[in-house]
Amino acid sequence: MKRWLLVALVSAAAAPLVPADEPAPADKPAACAMLNQRILGPRSGGRPLPLLAGDPAHGFRAACSVPWSTLSPHNQALPILDCYQGSLLQVANDAACGRDTGPLWVSTRWVLTSADEQRPLNRAAACQHLETGALAATRDFQPDCLPQDKQTPPKAATAQHAPAQPAAPATPAAAAPNPSP
Amino acid sequence: MSMAGTTGRAANSAGRARALQGRLFRGALHSLLLASVALFFLNFNLLGTATASKRFSQDLVYAWFGSEAWLYPRVPVGAAHQAPAPPRVVVVVIDERALALRGARWPVPVQFHAQLLAELEVLRPRAILLDFLLLDPAPRQDTCDLLAVASRLRQHGIGLYLAVTRPEDLQLLDAAACRDPSGAVIRAAQVFTPVSVQRQVDGSDFVSRRYPFEQRADTDAAGSGVASAAVRMYCDSAGAPAACVARLTGAHSADAGFELAWSPAGDPFNQRWSHAPCIQAISPVRAILNQPALPRESPCPPVATLFAAALLSPEVDPALGAGNEELFTLADQSFLLVGGNFRGSADLITTPMHTLLPGVYYHAAALENLLAFDGRPKVRKEFRTPKIGFYAYDLLVLWLLAAIFQWRQGWVQRLHATDHGPFELSAAARAWIAPVIARCPTPVWVLATAVLLLLLSTFRSLQLIAVAVTVVILVGVELRVAPMAEVRERLRGLLVYLAAMGLSLGVIALAIWVGYRWLRLPPGDWLGYFSFVAFGFFVARTAILEFGRRVDELYVARSTGGGTQ
Repeated sequence: MKRWLLVALVSAAAAPLVPADEPAPADKPAACAMLNQRILGPRSGGRPLPLLAGDPAHGFRAACSVPWSTLSPHNQALPILDCYQGSLLQVANDAACGRDTGPLWVSTRWVLTSADEQRPLNRAAACQHLETGALAATRDFQPDCLPQDKQTPPKAATAQHAPAQPAAPATPAAAAPNPSP
Repeated sequence: MSMAGTTGRAANSAGRARALQGRLFRGALHSLLLASVALFFLNFNLLGTATASKRFSQDLVYAWFGSEAWLYPRVPVGAAHQAPAPPRVVVVVIDERALALRGARWPVPVQFHAQLLAELEVLRPRAILLDFLLLDPAPRQDTCDLLAVASRLRQHGIGLYLAVTRPEDLQLLDAAACRDPSGAVIRAAQVFTPVSVQRQVDGSDFVSRRYPFEQRADTDAAGSGVASAAVRMYCDSAGAPAACVARLTGAHSADAGFELAWSPAGDPFNQRWSHAPCIQAISPVRAILNQPALPRESPCPPVATLFAAALLSPEVDPALGAGNEELFTLADQSFLLVGGNFRGSADLITTPMHTLLPGVYYHAAALENLLAFDGRPKVRKEFRTPKIGFYAYDLLVLWLLAAIFQWRQGWVQRLHATDHGPFELSAAARAWIAPVIARCPTPVWVLATAVLLLLLSTFRSLQLIAVAVTVVILVGVELRVAPMAEVRERLRGLLVYLAAMGLSLGVIALAIWVGYRWLRLPPGDWLGYFSFVAFGFFVARTAILEFGRRVDELYVARSTGGGTQ
């Protein structure tokens, strides 16, 4: 009984010192959340793909722009090694921009992934607003807004028939589709 | 005898013709006198109070009619990519969210600019402006990455423009001594065109209505400064860039600028991200009804806006097409103006709609103006040469309006010599109303009137109702008590008045068309024309015209009788 109590006390005391595991972002983009995802091809209108070098810890830097055929000479799908913020995908290529670049990154904007094909097409753009507040002392409240473009029905109809599908960024800075910083 | 009769008739006819000529001549002179006085008062600005009202009236013109092609012929959105249409202007907004997508934070690192330029290269724009001053020290590798990407874009025919405070700012980038793959040094001036991003505001209300042609000291010669961003970008896309810049920057004072036409309607592209409707109509009726006459904010700016976050991540805007077709349609061969939008950065302008927008929109709107007006934007009279010629144009317009006024007065006095005009109460109506009011003691009706006017002053919504009720009552009283002959005369006077007003409005419309379309004068003076028609006549008539006639009579008397003494 005493040993059990001692163990319990020690555990309780040590609990704050042990860092908890980072929770997996629930809204991580599909290409990052799913295993064995691949880049199927470009969607840059046949234009060269801008590539980045570096890593999240040391920062990214512009490396070069190459056509898809340079990354994938036989037009085969490329495995995704890592991803960052749902915006960058790391490919297993460290030679496309010359030596010593390390594995290169490409923007999700310019490539089609297998995850893109697996999830339903979301045509809604996230709501944005311009920062024109002259004061930083208060945080103004922005009511929820539903994305709208010419493909989507009017906002009232969207609200009635389908839940809003906000952007799914992985970081707090980009977590809100209509942020009120 | 018959010979003498014929001679007499001819003499009478000639005399009448001379008299008519004399009347016309005197009438023309009196009109000129009246117009000159009006011109003086329209431009009388001893304490600067007239400037604010003139500029605000111009803002109202753009708020009400800025979406009309006759006032601001912007490129229709659907026609932006048809062959003869001028290229489109697109603002790319960098905010905290975009920086976070690359693990960066404010102030925007040089490395981020290099990455963004590489992304923008895919869009194949015509030109890109970086509305950022790259004055802070940056790692050499970052600077070299930026210059390398910029050099590549230049080789692909994409014009690059960088904001500077002076041309020497580019030397900060040159200090890194970056080299291209062949070993040659990349000079910043080889890849970036330095442009001025200086702003102008009207001192009366701090609204950015005009855009400078160039940035230079007062002592420097016109055309010798750093061309403003929009001017340089427009001219580089024109046939003869050097001649275009020389034409726009030459023969102007150092503080000169062109007027920014502005549209209250947002660009339809922005509807995809804006929480507010982009198509908004502001009716002039709102001003009559004492409602806000200008938009309260600009949640949907008038220039197509692409958030950098949406460009960097399809998660932010997946609706740009499975193959980014809509993105390419928007940006292909467009002018891309990259600017920042960060809370607390103070990079904001007050637009002619009296709303706030990030500073990059100032340059975007200026470029759209240059494109819309084919490189011939509207410029105020004070910045024109010869200045007096443009004021003489105003005098000519006012002279015509004054002549119409005098013609109308002649008609009204001929019809109804006892009264001043068709809108004044007749003697019979006054004789009827006065006893009605006189039933109350003087303190009672005076106090009642004061209280009524106090209420009308306090509650503006009552003003329109009060005016309408008063008009109905007075017209009813006139119809009831005035003789029919009097009513008929008043109706005729009213018709003459309306005819003169219609003619005056026709002259004003013509003056506006010539002034705006051909002389490139902004709408700031339009209200002056209208106010002269509505009010100026009455003020000026009672003073200067009576004085002029008296002087005329004295001169005639002196010439005929007194002159021989």
